[in-house]
Amino acid sequence: MAVPLFLSTLEQSGLSTWLRETESLFGFYFILVFHTIGLALVVGPNAAIDLRLLGVAQGIPLPPLRNWFRLMWLGFTINVASGIFLVLAYPTKAFTNPDFYIKLTLVAFAVWTLYRMKRQVFDDSSLGEVAMLARGKILAVWSLVLWLGVITAGRLLAYTCSYLVYGVPC
Amino acid sequence: MDFPHLHLLLNHFPIIGTIMGVGLFLISFFVKTDEVRRSSLIVFVVMALLTIPAFMTGVGAQEKMVADSSVSNAMIQRHEGAAELAVWFMEITGALAVVALWQSAGRANPGRLNTLAILAFSLVTVGLMARTGNTGGEIRHLEVRSVQEGTAAETAIAYFEPSPAKFTRLMIANKWWWAFMMDLHFIGLVLLIGTIGMLNLRVLGFAKQLPIAPLNNLVPWGIAGFGINVLTGLLAFIGMPTFYSHDIAFVLKIGAIMLAVTVLGLFYLTSAFRDCEKLGPGQDAPLRAKLIAGTSLALWFAVIVLGRYIQPLQDSIAR
Repeated sequence: MAVPLFLSTLEQSGLSTWLRETESLFGFYFILVFHTIGLALVVGPNAAIDLRLLGVAQGIPLPPLRNWFRLMWLGFTINVASGIFLVLAYPTKAFTNPDFYIKLTLVAFAVWTLYRMKRQVFDDSSLGEVAMLARGKILAVWSLVLWLGVITAGRLLAYTCSYLVYGVPC
Repeated sequence: MDFPHLHLLLNHFPIIGTIMGVGLFLISFFVKTDEVRRSSLIVFVVMALLTIPAFMTGVGAQEKMVADSSVSNAMIQRHEGAAELAVWFMEITGALAVVALWQSAGRANPGRLNTLAILAFSLVTVGLMARTGNTGGEIRHLEVRSVQEGTAAETAIAYFEPSPAKFTRLMIANKWWWAFMMDLHFIGLVLLIGTIGMLNLRVLGFAKQLPIAPLNNLVPWGIAGFGINVLTGLLAFIGMPTFYSHDIAFVLKIGAIMLAVTVLGLFYLTSAFRDCEKLGPGQDAPLRAKLIAGTSLALWFAVIVLGRYIQPLQDSIAR
Protein backbone atom coordinates (compact mmCIF):
# COMPACT_ATOMS: atom_id res chain seq x y z
CA MET A 1 0.00 0.00 0.00
CA ALA A 2 1.32 3.39 -0.96
CA VAL A 3 2.11 5.70 1.92
CA PRO A 4 -0.29 8.72 1.74
CA LEU A 5 1.37 11.92 0.63
CA PHE A 6 -0.17 14.08 3.37
CA LEU A 7 2.15 12.36 5.87
CA SER A 8 5.09 13.81 3.98
CA THR A 9 3.46 17.25 3.97
CA LEU A 10 2.86 17.02 7.71
CA GLU A 11 6.39 15.83 8.29
CA GLN A 12 7.89 18.78 6.41
CA SER A 13 5.97 21.35 8.43
CA GLY A 14 8.14 23.59 10.60
CA LEU A 15 6.91 22.23 13.93
CA SER A 16 7.32 18.57 12.92
CA THR A 17 10.84 19.16 11.61
CA TRP A 18 11.81 21.11 14.71
CA LEU A 19 10.44 18.46 17.11
CA ARG A 20 12.34 15.75 15.27
CA GLU A 21 15.63 17.45 14.55
CA THR A 22 16.25 20.05 17.23
CA GLU A 23 19.30 19.70 19.44
CA SER A 24 17.32 21.43 22.18
CA LEU A 25 16.30 19.31 25.16
CA PHE A 26 12.81 20.81 24.83
CA GLY A 27 12.01 18.97 21.60
CA PHE A 28 10.94 15.37 21.15
CA TYR A 29 12.21 14.08 24.51
CA PHE A 30 10.50 16.90 26.41
CA ILE A 31 7.17 15.74 24.94
CA LEU A 32 8.12 12.16 25.84
CA VAL A 33 8.64 13.24 29.48
CA PHE A 34 5.07 14.58 29.56
CA HIS A 35 3.80 11.37 27.97
CA THR A 36 5.48 9.31 30.71
CA ILE A 37 4.24 11.56 33.54
CA GLY A 38 0.75 11.31 32.04
CA LEU A 39 1.09 7.52 31.95
CA ALA A 40 2.03 7.48 35.62
CA LEU A 41 -0.97 9.70 36.49
CA VAL A 42 -3.53 7.61 34.59
CA VAL A 43 -2.35 4.06 35.05
CA GLY A 44 -0.75 4.43 38.51
CA PRO A 45 -3.92 5.38 40.44
CA ASN A 46 -6.09 3.19 38.20
CA ALA A 47 -3.94 0.13 38.92
CA ALA A 48 -4.14 0.92 42.65
CA ILE A 49 -7.96 1.16 42.47
CA ASP A 50 -8.07 -2.09 40.47
CA LEU A 51 -6.01 -3.84 43.13
CA ARG A 52 -8.32 -2.50 45.86
CA LEU A 53 -11.40 -3.76 43.96
CA LEU A 54 -9.72 -7.15 43.62
CA GLY A 55 -9.17 -7.49 47.35
CA VAL A 56 -5.86 -5.78 48.16
CA ALA A 57 -5.78 -3.30 51.08
CA GLN A 58 -9.40 -3.92 51.99
CA GLY A 59 -9.33 -1.30 54.73
CA ILE A 60 -9.40 1.48 52.14
CA PRO A 61 -12.95 2.90 51.99
CA LEU A 62 -14.13 2.89 48.36
CA PRO A 63 -16.20 6.12 48.02
CA PRO A 64 -13.34 8.62 48.60
CA LEU A 65 -11.32 6.94 45.81
CA ARG A 66 -13.70 8.81 43.53
CA ASN A 67 -11.43 11.87 43.96
CA TRP A 68 -8.59 10.06 42.20
CA PHE A 69 -10.52 10.04 38.91
CA ARG A 70 -9.93 13.77 38.46
CA LEU A 71 -6.20 13.11 38.59
CA MET A 72 -6.54 10.27 36.10
CA TRP A 73 -8.46 12.46 33.64
CA LEU A 74 -5.73 15.09 34.01
CA GLY A 75 -3.15 12.41 33.15
CA PHE A 76 -5.21 11.28 30.18
CA THR A 77 -5.52 14.87 28.91
CA ILE A 78 -1.74 15.31 29.19
CA ASN A 79 -1.27 12.14 27.18
CA VAL A 80 -3.72 13.03 24.42
CA ALA A 81 -1.93 16.37 24.02
CA SER A 82 1.60 14.99 24.24
CA GLY A 83 0.59 12.02 22.07
CA ILE A 84 -0.53 14.37 19.28
CA PHE A 85 2.86 16.10 19.34
CA LEU A 86 4.70 12.76 19.31
CA VAL A 87 2.74 11.68 16.22
CA LEU A 88 3.37 15.09 14.67
CA ALA A 89 7.13 14.55 15.07
CA TYR A 90 7.06 11.19 13.24
CA PRO A 91 3.72 10.93 11.39
CA THR A 92 4.86 8.42 8.74
CA LYS A 93 6.54 6.23 11.35
CA ALA A 94 3.37 6.17 13.44
CA PHE A 95 0.75 5.67 10.75
CA THR A 96 2.68 2.94 8.90
CA ASN A 97 3.16 0.87 12.06
CA PRO A 98 0.38 -1.68 12.81
CA ASP A 99 1.41 -1.58 16.48
CA PHE A 100 0.36 2.09 16.58
CA TYR A 101 -3.24 1.15 15.72
CA ILE A 102 -3.17 -1.69 18.25
CA LYS A 103 -2.04 0.75 20.94
CA LEU A 104 -4.74 3.31 20.09
CA THR A 105 -7.42 0.60 20.14
CA LEU A 106 -6.23 -0.66 23.52
CA VAL A 107 -6.14 2.93 24.87
CA ALA A 108 -9.72 3.43 23.73
CA PHE A 109 -10.90 0.28 25.50
CA ALA A 110 -8.86 1.04 28.64
CA VAL A 111 -10.24 4.58 28.90
CA TRP A 112 -13.75 3.32 28.22
CA THR A 113 -13.27 0.87 31.11
CA LEU A 114 -12.06 3.73 33.30
CA TYR A 115 -15.15 5.75 32.39
CA ARG A 116 -17.47 2.82 33.12
CA MET A 117 -15.75 2.18 36.43
CA LYS A 118 -16.38 5.79 37.44
CA ARG A 119 -20.01 5.79 36.29
CA GLN A 120 -21.12 2.35 37.43
CA VAL A 121 -19.10 1.87 40.61
CA PHE A 122 -18.17 5.26 42.05
CA ASP A 123 -20.86 7.72 40.86
CA ASP A 124 -23.78 5.82 42.37
CA SER A 125 -23.71 6.98 46.00
CA SER A 126 -26.57 4.63 46.94
CA LEU A 127 -24.28 1.61 46.54
CA GLY A 128 -22.73 -0.07 49.56
CA GLU A 129 -19.28 -1.61 49.52
CA VAL A 130 -20.54 -5.09 48.59
CA ALA A 131 -22.49 -3.79 45.60
CA MET A 132 -19.55 -1.62 44.50
CA LEU A 133 -17.22 -4.62 44.61
CA ALA A 134 -19.73 -6.79 42.75
CA ARG A 135 -19.89 -4.23 39.95
CA GLY A 136 -16.22 -3.35 39.98
CA LYS A 137 -14.37 -6.67 40.00
CA ILE A 138 -14.74 -7.59 36.33
CA LEU A 139 -13.98 -4.01 35.29
CA ALA A 140 -10.85 -4.07 37.45
CA VAL A 141 -9.56 -7.21 35.73
CA TRP A 142 -10.22 -5.69 32.29
CA SER A 143 -8.58 -2.46 33.37
CA LEU A 144 -5.37 -4.19 34.46
CA VAL A 145 -5.22 -6.36 31.32
CA LEU A 146 -5.88 -3.43 28.99
CA TRP A 147 -3.35 -1.08 30.61
CA LEU A 148 -0.77 -3.86 30.52
CA GLY A 149 -1.52 -4.13 26.80
CA VAL A 150 -1.30 -0.36 26.31
CA ILE A 151 2.09 -0.12 28.02
CA THR A 152 3.45 -3.11 26.11
CA ALA A 153 2.16 -1.85 22.75
CA GLY A 154 3.51 1.62 23.56
CA ARG A 155 6.94 0.29 24.49
CA LEU A 156 7.01 -1.80 21.31
CA LEU A 157 6.59 1.41 19.27
CA ALA A 158 10.21 2.14 20.18
CA TYR A 159 11.38 -1.15 18.65
CA THR A 160 9.20 -1.50 15.55
CA CYS A 161 8.72 0.54 12.40
CA SER A 162 8.27 0.28 8.63
CA TYR A 163 9.37 3.81 7.79
CA LEU A 164 11.41 6.17 9.93
CA VAL A 165 10.30 9.17 7.90
CA TYR A 166 8.53 9.46 4.53
CA GLY A 167 10.36 7.42 1.90
CA VAL A 168 12.99 6.13 4.34
CA PRO A 169 12.36 2.49 5.28
CA CYS A 170 13.65 1.36 8.68
CA MET B 1 35.20 13.73 41.35
CA ASP B 2 35.37 11.05 38.68
CA PHE B 3 34.40 7.40 38.49
CA PRO B 4 37.59 5.93 40.02
CA HIS B 5 37.14 8.24 43.04
CA LEU B 6 33.44 7.46 43.36
CA HIS B 7 34.14 3.75 43.00
CA LEU B 8 36.73 3.82 45.80
CA LEU B 9 34.40 5.92 47.94
CA LEU B 10 31.52 3.48 47.56
CA ASN B 11 33.04 0.05 47.12
CA HIS B 12 34.01 -0.54 50.74
CA PHE B 13 30.44 -0.16 51.98
CA PRO B 14 29.02 -3.44 50.66
CA ILE B 15 31.92 -5.43 52.11
CA ILE B 16 32.18 -3.88 55.56
CA GLY B 17 28.46 -3.08 55.74
CA THR B 18 27.31 -6.63 55.12
CA ILE B 19 29.79 -7.92 57.71
CA MET B 20 28.34 -5.46 60.24
CA GLY B 21 24.82 -6.37 59.17
CA VAL B 22 25.49 -10.08 59.66
CA GLY B 23 27.10 -9.33 63.05
CA LEU B 24 24.02 -7.43 64.24
CA PHE B 25 21.73 -10.06 62.77
CA LEU B 26 23.53 -12.85 64.66
CA ILE B 27 23.51 -10.84 67.90
CA SER B 28 19.74 -10.37 67.51
CA PHE B 29 19.26 -14.13 67.98
CA PHE B 30 20.74 -13.88 71.47
CA VAL B 31 19.60 -10.50 72.76
CA LYS B 32 15.92 -10.60 72.14
CA THR B 33 15.30 -6.96 71.31
CA ASP B 34 13.55 -5.96 68.13
CA GLU B 35 15.80 -2.93 67.76
CA VAL B 36 18.92 -4.99 67.08
CA ARG B 37 17.11 -7.16 64.54
CA ARG B 38 15.60 -4.14 62.83
CA SER B 39 18.96 -2.34 62.79
CA SER B 40 20.58 -5.28 61.05
CA LEU B 41 17.79 -5.39 58.46
CA ILE B 42 18.12 -1.65 57.82
CA VAL B 43 21.88 -2.11 57.34
CA PHE B 44 21.18 -4.82 54.73
CA VAL B 45 18.75 -2.59 52.85
CA VAL B 46 21.16 0.38 52.85
CA MET B 47 23.99 -1.86 51.64
CA ALA B 48 21.82 -3.32 48.87
CA LEU B 49 21.16 0.25 47.72
CA LEU B 50 24.77 1.45 47.95
CA THR B 51 25.87 -1.64 46.04
CA ILE B 52 24.07 -0.32 42.95
CA PRO B 53 26.24 2.81 42.48
CA ALA B 54 29.31 0.93 43.77
CA PHE B 55 28.79 -1.62 40.99
CA MET B 56 28.00 0.95 38.32
CA THR B 57 30.94 3.28 39.01
CA GLY B 58 33.22 0.29 38.44
CA VAL B 59 32.69 0.51 34.70
CA GLY B 60 33.85 4.12 34.57
CA ALA B 61 36.82 3.29 36.79
CA GLN B 62 37.76 0.41 34.48
CA GLU B 63 37.76 2.69 31.44
CA LYS B 64 40.12 5.12 33.17
CA MET B 65 42.42 2.33 34.35
CA VAL B 66 42.89 0.34 31.16
CA ALA B 67 44.62 3.40 29.71
CA ASP B 68 47.47 2.52 32.09
CA SER B 69 49.50 -0.30 30.55
CA SER B 70 50.65 -1.59 33.94
CA VAL B 71 47.05 -2.55 34.72
CA SER B 72 45.92 -5.99 33.66
CA ASN B 73 42.55 -5.95 31.95
CA ALA B 74 42.18 -9.66 32.70
CA MET B 75 42.31 -8.88 36.42
CA ILE B 76 39.68 -6.18 36.02
CA GLN B 77 37.47 -8.67 34.16
CA ARG B 78 37.90 -11.16 36.99
CA HIS B 79 36.89 -8.47 39.49
CA GLU B 80 33.89 -7.53 37.37
CA GLY B 81 32.78 -11.15 37.17
CA ALA B 82 33.06 -11.50 40.94
CA ALA B 83 31.00 -8.30 41.34
CA GLU B 84 28.34 -9.50 38.90
CA LEU B 85 27.84 -12.56 41.08
CA ALA B 86 27.93 -10.73 44.45
CA VAL B 87 25.46 -8.03 43.36
CA TRP B 88 22.55 -10.47 42.98
CA PHE B 89 23.06 -12.03 46.41
CA MET B 90 23.28 -8.55 47.92
CA GLU B 91 20.06 -7.38 46.23
CA ILE B 92 18.20 -10.55 47.25
CA THR B 93 19.38 -10.06 50.86
CA GLY B 94 18.15 -6.45 50.70
CA ALA B 95 14.77 -7.50 49.29
CA LEU B 96 14.29 -10.17 51.98
CA ALA B 97 15.24 -7.59 54.62
CA VAL B 98 12.58 -5.19 53.30
CA VAL B 99 9.97 -7.94 53.61
CA ALA B 100 11.06 -8.66 57.19
CA LEU B 101 11.04 -4.95 58.10
CA TRP B 102 7.54 -4.54 56.68
CA GLN B 103 6.32 -7.57 58.65
CA SER B 104 7.86 -6.34 61.89
CA ALA B 105 6.33 -2.86 61.42
CA GLY B 106 2.91 -4.43 60.97
CA ARG B 107 3.53 -6.41 64.15
CA ALA B 108 3.04 -9.58 62.17
CA ASN B 109 5.25 -12.47 63.11
CA PRO B 110 8.27 -12.33 60.82
CA GLY B 111 8.37 -15.66 59.03
CA ARG B 112 10.95 -18.17 60.19
CA LEU B 113 11.63 -19.12 56.58
CA ASN B 114 12.43 -15.50 55.74
CA THR B 115 14.76 -15.23 58.75
CA LEU B 116 16.63 -18.32 57.62
CA ALA B 117 16.78 -17.04 54.05
CA ILE B 118 18.23 -13.71 55.22
CA LEU B 119 20.83 -15.53 57.27
CA ALA B 120 21.84 -17.73 54.34
CA PHE B 121 21.88 -15.00 51.70
CA SER B 122 23.68 -12.46 53.88
CA LEU B 123 26.40 -14.97 54.77
CA VAL B 124 26.91 -15.88 51.10
CA THR B 125 26.92 -12.15 50.27
CA VAL B 126 29.67 -11.50 52.83
CA GLY B 127 31.81 -14.17 51.18
CA LEU B 128 31.13 -13.02 47.63
CA MET B 129 31.64 -9.35 48.51
CA ALA B 130 34.95 -10.14 50.22
CA ARG B 131 35.96 -12.01 47.08
CA THR B 132 34.93 -9.03 44.95
CA GLY B 133 37.00 -6.72 47.14
CA ASN B 134 39.95 -9.06 47.00
CA THR B 135 39.96 -9.36 43.21
CA GLY B 136 39.49 -5.60 43.01
CA GLY B 137 42.39 -4.90 45.34
CA GLU B 138 44.66 -7.18 43.38
CA ILE B 139 44.27 -4.97 40.31
CA ARG B 140 46.47 -2.33 41.91
CA HIS B 141 48.07 -3.92 44.96
CA LEU B 142 50.83 -6.28 43.84
CA GLU B 143 51.60 -7.13 47.45
CA VAL B 144 48.25 -8.85 48.02
CA ARG B 145 48.10 -10.88 44.82
CA SER B 146 47.31 -14.21 46.23
CA VAL B 147 48.52 -17.73 45.83
CA GLN B 148 45.08 -19.05 46.75
CA GLU B 149 44.00 -19.30 43.10
CA GLY B 150 43.70 -23.04 42.96
CA THR B 151 41.58 -23.85 46.02
CA ALA B 152 38.56 -26.05 45.45
CA ALA B 153 36.17 -23.42 46.81
CA GLU B 154 37.55 -20.80 44.44
CA THR B 155 37.14 -23.14 41.47
CA ALA B 156 33.56 -23.92 42.50
CA ILE B 157 32.60 -20.24 42.84
CA ALA B 158 34.32 -19.33 39.59
CA TYR B 159 32.09 -21.90 37.90
CA PHE B 160 28.97 -19.88 38.79
CA GLU B 161 30.58 -16.56 38.08
CA PRO B 162 29.34 -14.86 34.92
CA SER B 163 31.80 -13.78 32.29
CA PRO B 164 31.18 -10.00 32.01
CA ALA B 165 31.48 -9.92 28.23
CA LYS B 166 29.13 -12.88 27.78
CA PHE B 167 26.60 -11.44 30.23
CA THR B 168 26.61 -8.17 28.30
CA ARG B 169 26.14 -9.96 24.98
CA LEU B 170 23.32 -12.04 26.43
CA MET B 171 21.38 -8.92 27.40
CA ILE B 172 21.63 -7.23 24.01
CA ALA B 173 21.60 -10.26 21.71
CA ASN B 174 17.84 -10.16 21.26
CA LYS B 175 15.97 -6.91 20.74
CA TRP B 176 12.70 -8.46 22.01
CA TRP B 177 14.35 -9.47 25.28
CA TRP B 178 15.48 -5.86 25.69
CA ALA B 179 11.98 -4.59 24.83
CA PHE B 180 10.52 -7.00 27.41
CA MET B 181 12.86 -5.69 30.13
CA MET B 182 11.93 -2.10 29.31
CA ASP B 183 8.24 -3.05 29.35
CA LEU B 184 8.68 -4.45 32.87
CA HIS B 185 10.59 -1.29 33.82
CA PHE B 186 7.52 0.82 32.92
CA ILE B 187 5.16 -1.54 34.75
CA GLY B 188 7.36 -1.16 37.83
CA LEU B 189 7.15 2.62 37.44
CA VAL B 190 3.35 2.51 37.34
CA LEU B 191 3.16 0.35 40.47
CA LEU B 192 5.54 2.68 42.32
CA ILE B 193 3.73 5.92 41.43
CA GLY B 194 0.26 4.39 41.82
CA THR B 195 0.90 3.39 45.43
CA ILE B 196 3.75 5.39 47.00
CA GLY B 197 2.89 8.43 44.86
CA MET B 198 -0.76 8.32 45.89
CA LEU B 199 0.17 7.91 49.57
CA ASN B 200 2.42 10.97 49.27
CA LEU B 201 -0.41 12.95 47.68
CA ARG B 202 -2.80 11.99 50.48
CA VAL B 203 -0.28 13.10 53.12
CA LEU B 204 -0.04 16.41 51.24
CA GLY B 205 -3.81 16.77 51.50
CA PHE B 206 -5.18 15.41 48.19
CA ALA B 207 -8.31 13.20 48.52
CA LYS B 208 -8.29 13.78 52.28
CA GLN B 209 -11.35 11.60 52.88
CA LEU B 210 -9.04 8.57 52.70
CA PRO B 211 -7.63 7.35 56.03
CA ILE B 212 -3.88 6.82 55.77
CA ALA B 213 -3.28 3.50 57.55
CA PRO B 214 -5.19 1.34 55.01
CA LEU B 215 -3.76 3.31 52.08
CA ASN B 216 -0.36 2.29 53.39
CA ASN B 217 -1.30 -1.35 52.74
CA LEU B 218 -0.88 -0.68 49.00
CA VAL B 219 2.77 0.30 49.46
CA PRO B 220 4.18 -3.28 49.28
CA TRP B 221 3.02 -3.30 45.63
CA GLY B 222 4.99 -0.11 45.04
CA ILE B 223 8.05 -1.61 46.69
CA ALA B 224 7.60 -4.69 44.49
CA GLY B 225 7.51 -2.34 41.49
CA PHE B 226 10.75 -0.78 42.70
CA GLY B 227 12.23 -4.28 43.00
CA ILE B 228 11.23 -5.07 39.40
CA ASN B 229 12.95 -1.86 38.34
CA VAL B 230 16.16 -2.53 40.26
CA LEU B 231 16.32 -5.94 38.57
CA THR B 232 15.53 -4.74 35.04
CA GLY B 233 17.65 -1.62 35.52
CA LEU B 234 20.70 -3.59 36.61
CA LEU B 235 20.27 -6.03 33.71
CA ALA B 236 19.98 -3.12 31.27
CA PHE B 237 23.13 -1.58 32.75
CA ILE B 238 25.02 -4.84 32.33
CA GLY B 239 23.76 -4.93 28.72
CA MET B 240 25.18 -1.49 27.82
CA PRO B 241 27.55 -0.44 30.63
CA THR B 242 29.58 2.17 28.75
CA PHE B 243 26.44 3.67 27.21
CA TYR B 244 25.11 4.45 30.69
CA SER B 245 28.40 5.41 32.33
CA HIS B 246 28.84 8.27 29.83
CA ASP B 247 25.41 9.70 30.45
CA ILE B 248 24.87 12.55 32.90
CA ALA B 249 21.09 11.93 32.98
CA PHE B 250 21.73 8.35 34.07
CA VAL B 251 24.22 9.33 36.79
CA LEU B 252 21.81 11.93 38.16
CA LYS B 253 18.94 9.45 37.94
CA ILE B 254 20.79 6.95 40.12
CA GLY B 255 21.52 9.79 42.58
CA ALA B 256 17.84 10.79 42.62
CA ILE B 257 16.80 7.17 43.25
CA MET B 258 19.18 6.94 46.23
CA LEU B 259 17.69 10.16 47.65
CA ALA B 260 14.10 9.10 46.96
CA VAL B 261 14.57 5.80 48.78
CA THR B 262 16.30 7.62 51.66
CA VAL B 263 13.30 9.94 51.95
CA LEU B 264 10.97 6.92 51.95
CA GLY B 265 13.11 5.46 54.73
CA LEU B 266 12.86 8.73 56.67
CA PHE B 267 9.09 8.61 56.37
CA TYR B 268 8.85 5.15 57.89
CA LEU B 269 11.66 5.35 60.44
CA THR B 270 10.89 8.76 61.96
CA SER B 271 7.75 9.74 63.82
CA ALA B 272 6.32 11.05 60.51
CA PHE B 273 4.69 7.72 59.72
CA ARG B 274 3.34 7.17 63.23
CA ASP B 275 1.80 10.66 63.08
CA CYS B 276 0.20 9.85 59.74
CA GLU B 277 -0.94 6.35 60.61
CA LYS B 278 -3.46 7.75 63.07
CA LEU B 279 -5.06 10.09 60.55
CA GLY B 280 -8.65 9.31 59.71
CA PRO B 281 -10.88 10.79 56.99
CA GLY B 282 -10.48 14.53 56.54
CA GLN B 283 -7.58 14.93 58.98
CA ASP B 284 -4.55 16.96 58.03
CA ALA B 285 -1.01 15.54 58.24
CA PRO B 286 1.61 17.39 60.30
CA LEU B 287 4.00 19.70 58.46
CA ARG B 288 7.00 17.39 58.83
CA ALA B 289 5.20 14.52 57.13
CA LYS B 290 4.06 16.87 54.38
CA LEU B 291 7.62 18.03 53.75
CA ILE B 292 8.76 14.41 53.45
CA ALA B 293 5.87 13.49 51.15
CA GLY B 294 6.47 16.54 48.93
CA THR B 295 10.18 15.81 48.67
CA SER B 296 9.43 12.18 47.84
CA LEU B 297 7.05 13.16 45.03
CA ALA B 298 9.52 15.68 43.60
CA LEU B 299 12.32 13.09 43.65
CA TRP B 300 10.32 10.33 41.91
CA PHE B 301 9.23 12.94 39.36
CA ALA B 302 12.92 13.76 38.80
CA VAL B 303 13.70 10.04 38.41
CA ILE B 304 11.14 9.76 35.59
CA VAL B 305 12.32 12.94 33.85
CA LEU B 306 16.01 11.97 34.09
CA GLY B 307 15.23 8.45 32.89
CA ARG B 308 13.59 9.87 29.80
CA TYR B 309 16.61 12.06 29.07
CA ILE B 310 19.10 9.14 29.14
CA GLN B 311 18.76 8.59 25.42
CA PRO B 312 19.32 12.16 24.13
CA LEU B 313 22.08 12.77 26.70
CA GLN B 314 24.20 9.78 25.72
CA ASP B 315 27.89 10.70 25.51
CA SER B 316 27.27 13.77 27.70
CA ILE B 317 30.19 12.59 29.89
CA ALA B 318 33.39 12.69 27.85
CA ARG B 319 34.93 9.37 26.85
